[in-house]
Amino acid sequence: MTNQKDFPAGPGFNRRTFIGAAAGTAVAPIVAKAAGASGGPAATSDPSLPVDVSLDINSATRSLRIDARTTLLDALREHTGLTGSKKGCDHGQCGACTVLINGRRVLSCLTLAVVAQGQRIVTIEGLAEDGELHPMQQAFVDQDAFQCGYCTPGQIMSGIACVREGHAGSDDAIREYMSGNICRCAAYPNIVAAVRQAARAMSDEQKG
Amino acid sequence: MSITAPEPKANMGQPIPRYDAAAKVTGKAQYAADVPLVNPAYACLVTSSIAKGRIDGFDMTAAKQVRGVIDIVTHENAEQLKEAKLFSNGGYAGTTIQPLKSADVAHTGQIVAVVVAETFEAAQQAAYAMKVNYTAAMPSATFDSAGTTSAPAKGQLAQFKEDPKVGDFAKAFNDAEIKVSAAYETPPQHHNPMELFATSCVWLGDSLTIYEPSQYVYGLKNGVAEQLGIDADKVRVINAYVGGAFGSKGSMTPRTAIIASIARRLGRPVKLVATRAQGFTIATFRAETRHEIQIGARRDGHLTALRHESWEVSSRPDPYAVGGTKTTTRLYACPNIESRVSIVRADRNTPGFMRSPPEVPYMFALESAMDELAVALNMDPVELRRVNDTAKEPISGKPYTSRSLMACYDQGARAFEWEKRSPQPKSMTEGDWLIGYGCATSCYPTQMAPAAARVRLQRDGRVRVEIAGQEIGNGAYTVIGQAAAEKLGVPVEKVSVFIGDSDLPPAPVAGGSNSTASTCSTVIKVCEQVRQKLFEALTSNESLTNEAKGTVGMGQTPSTPSASNDRPLDLERAFDALGVSVVEEYGEWKPEGAPMDSFQAMYKGQVRMVGGSEMKDKIAYAFGAEFVEVRVNKWTHEIRVPRLVGAFAAGHIMNPRTARSQLMGGLIWGMSSALHEATELDERYARYVNDNLADYLVPVNADVSDVDVILVAEQDDHINPAGVKGIGELGNVGTNAAVCNAIFHATGQRLRKLPVRLEKLEI
Ligand code: FES
Ligand code: FES
Repeated sequence: MTNQKDFPAGPGFNRRTFIGAAAGTAVAPIVAKAAGASGGPAATSDPSLPVDVSLDINSATRSLRIDARTTLLDALREHTGLTGSKKGCDHGQCGACTVLINGRRVLSCLTLAVVAQGQRIVTIEGLAEDGELHPMQQAFVDQDAFQCGYCTPGQIMSGIACVREGHAGSDDAIREYMSGNICRCAAYPNIVAAVRQAARAMSDEQKG
Repeated sequence: MSITAPEPKANMGQPIPRYDAAAKVTGKAQYAADVPLVNPAYACLVTSSIAKGRIDGFDMTAAKQVRGVIDIVTHENAEQLKEAKLFSNGGYAGTTIQPLKSADVAHTGQIVAVVVAETFEAAQQAAYAMKVNYTAAMPSATFDSAGTTSAPAKGQLAQFKEDPKVGDFAKAFNDAEIKVSAAYETPPQHHNPMELFATSCVWLGDSLTIYEPSQYVYGLKNGVAEQLGIDADKVRVINAYVGGAFGSKGSMTPRTAIIASIARRLGRPVKLVATRAQGFTIATFRAETRHEIQIGARRDGHLTALRHESWEVSSRPDPYAVGGTKTTTRLYACPNIESRVSIVRADRNTPGFMRSPPEVPYMFALESAMDELAVALNMDPVELRRVNDTAKEPISGKPYTSRSLMACYDQGARAFEWEKRSPQPKSMTEGDWLIGYGCATSCYPTQMAPAAARVRLQRDGRVRVEIAGQEIGNGAYTVIGQAAAEKLGVPVEKVSVFIGDSDLPPAPVAGGSNSTASTCSTVIKVCEQVRQKLFEALTSNESLTNEAKGTVGMGQTPSTPSASNDRPLDLERAFDALGVSVVEEYGEWKPEGAPMDSFQAMYKGQVRMVGGSEMKDKIAYAFGAEFVEVRVNKWTHEIRVPRLVGAFAAGHIMNPRTARSQLMGGLIWGMSSALHEATELDERYARYVNDNLADYLVPVNADVSDVDVILVAEQDDHINPAGVKGIGELGNVGTNAAVCNAIFHATGQRLRKLPVRLEKLEI
């Protein structure tokens, strides 16, 4: 995905908050290991022992007891009933699992659930308010920006971030910054049209 | 109206938004792996690392120690399931290679064990910890590998009836004024729908419910029942939405009965979501093909001789072939034609259908050769098609039910501004970019199959349609709802559509682009039954002629040809006369020429497809013309496709919005087939190398620029009641040739082997 300088400073989602948020939970050793530290005594403990995790998803707190290795994607899909986020590869290659964390687009299949604690997670289910579609959702309907619909939740989350990042200024920019989300049905030109439409609606909303 | 929702032309329905749009943009659309299960166990597959040989044994010590492991199933302890016959052989399966039956390994990535655990994480860990000991033999990977065998398709594959032939090719070619001979090659490709191959099985007593993405819920239901040895009525397959399929979910794969059997043995729901890599070997793929084409022509461009010989790879046990010569020998007028298809057996998983199975590879060969002929003749390639256009197919002289090929060429050429093309290769440049224009013909057989539907109409105008079709992104919900609304004269918002459930009336496989034609023709017929009932109530004393029946209707602007004669009917009065508040009808429809056993077969989950070149006294195809602009960088050889234009005529268009999207996706698929897609094979191990979405190249948004779809108005009253030809596979036929023809025009280099990557250019 894009590099750090593309993002305005704001409520950060960086490596420090990653580790900071995870410290003090049962999974600190795993994170430390991933960060390259040599394993202390805790590193040998059984990683399949469940841990308690508390997640802030779509403005609701969800408390889960899960395998510490559970990805955010599997936590959403298998443990909270939020199956809108999709698994297309589980390897960070397709974008179907894209969610927003603290406003930024993140691949939930490459994010451990424990690491997402203390962060604001928004999924496709959290966009519509009182039954009214988010402008990006409405634009996807208007522009027929999908066929099978499987990549769509990821495209919509990515589209929202793309607009907020300021990467929806031209069709070329949209194409480039939406290229982390594969659509095998190849609805691409319609996805570009939808992001363009939503970008307008979202800026009107901000003004109004 | 926006570009994405084009204004309907003659014989086209309204471009209404998709029926399932809101469900799909809110995450509420429930795909198979989204269905919540009570206390599921999670399955992970272990697949073979060798292509040929035997399993000597397993070391499960580490796997068994993983906390939460419930069961490890191998051929040593698996239930012995009944054999699965190949779908093309009267069965349901995409392969007859049955994993977990014996120690034998027939291809890489074959399922050799299934690990079941309390959590997905534990199952994954244990699957990684499984050690399998093999005795490996040397596999034969593909064409030219030692140990492969080759034999004619005819005689070993029931579906391949003939090698089309007419006149005396050898003599005509010998005498031809202009000759073209060339060989072409296409690579293996994998469908890679975004949705993974998932299966959840839930037993309730002796009844089984399967949640699995399938293009054919009736086929899967019957196939699994057969393998488990239980009554098909005890099996139900549910998939309200399928996350893309492209042929990969059309026939039964071995995983389903295996998971069902494990769920039965554990007495607990079992959920499998196979990995992306496993998807390359536990299902089918598009096999690699080779072609030799010889064309003889007169100086004025008329074809005098055509020969198309092809070879396709299949697995050791299964004689699968797509056999596209049935199309390529019938496309253009030519008195002397010969063809032959052979199947080469290798140690691979069994291939299967992938979006436009015969046409993508075979039309690549023919339409590339036609371009080579145009160059040899010094003739405009569009004019070459015009000279050889025909109203009758040349093999047996049957008339096309309708054929708008040249209308497509003319409208496409105009939109593309083809006249700006300077004919000489390498004659158009802009800065560092060599520009090329290319074109090719697209075509796809019109196919239909029997189906049944239930339609309920209420006094308040609400309608419920039930038919076990499948929504794979084809817009099935939408067009079925439109067909019912138009026929019954109610607003489309009043129609509820239920599909994707094998407890509903049967519909055929969502494959061969037959879905809309078959399901909408059936729904129209059953709606007619409903109208008939109401009409009879209003005019109980009169006997009706068939013609009079056709003029009873309830108003609203109809767009299907069969609804266009309908006249308003007073709904409330009719219900009052009947003395009921609901009318419900069940009906079956079969296409003209369908065999006697069609309906019986339909309930058994077997499709009797009718259409294309295999009709008795006519031939039915949809046509298109595709135009491509490529830009090749002089220094880096980077290939870009700034413009794709396709003009398509396919009879009645139910919904121009969904139709445009499908054809647009098809054009991008076609470009991908030329420039991106290939499954790389390590021939030493007969193993796929790039079995993931980072290395198997599919287009991303930045690969696609302008795509222009032109829907050419066409009416065909000779095909089916809906007047529909089918468009799901039309868009990606010929595009690969058009791209290569454009590359030739840009660079002067003819590329006959797909995919074309920049390292293959020698400019
Ligand atoms: S599932 Fe996360 S990127 Fe594909
Ligand atoms: S809509 Fe099917 S993958 Fe994008």
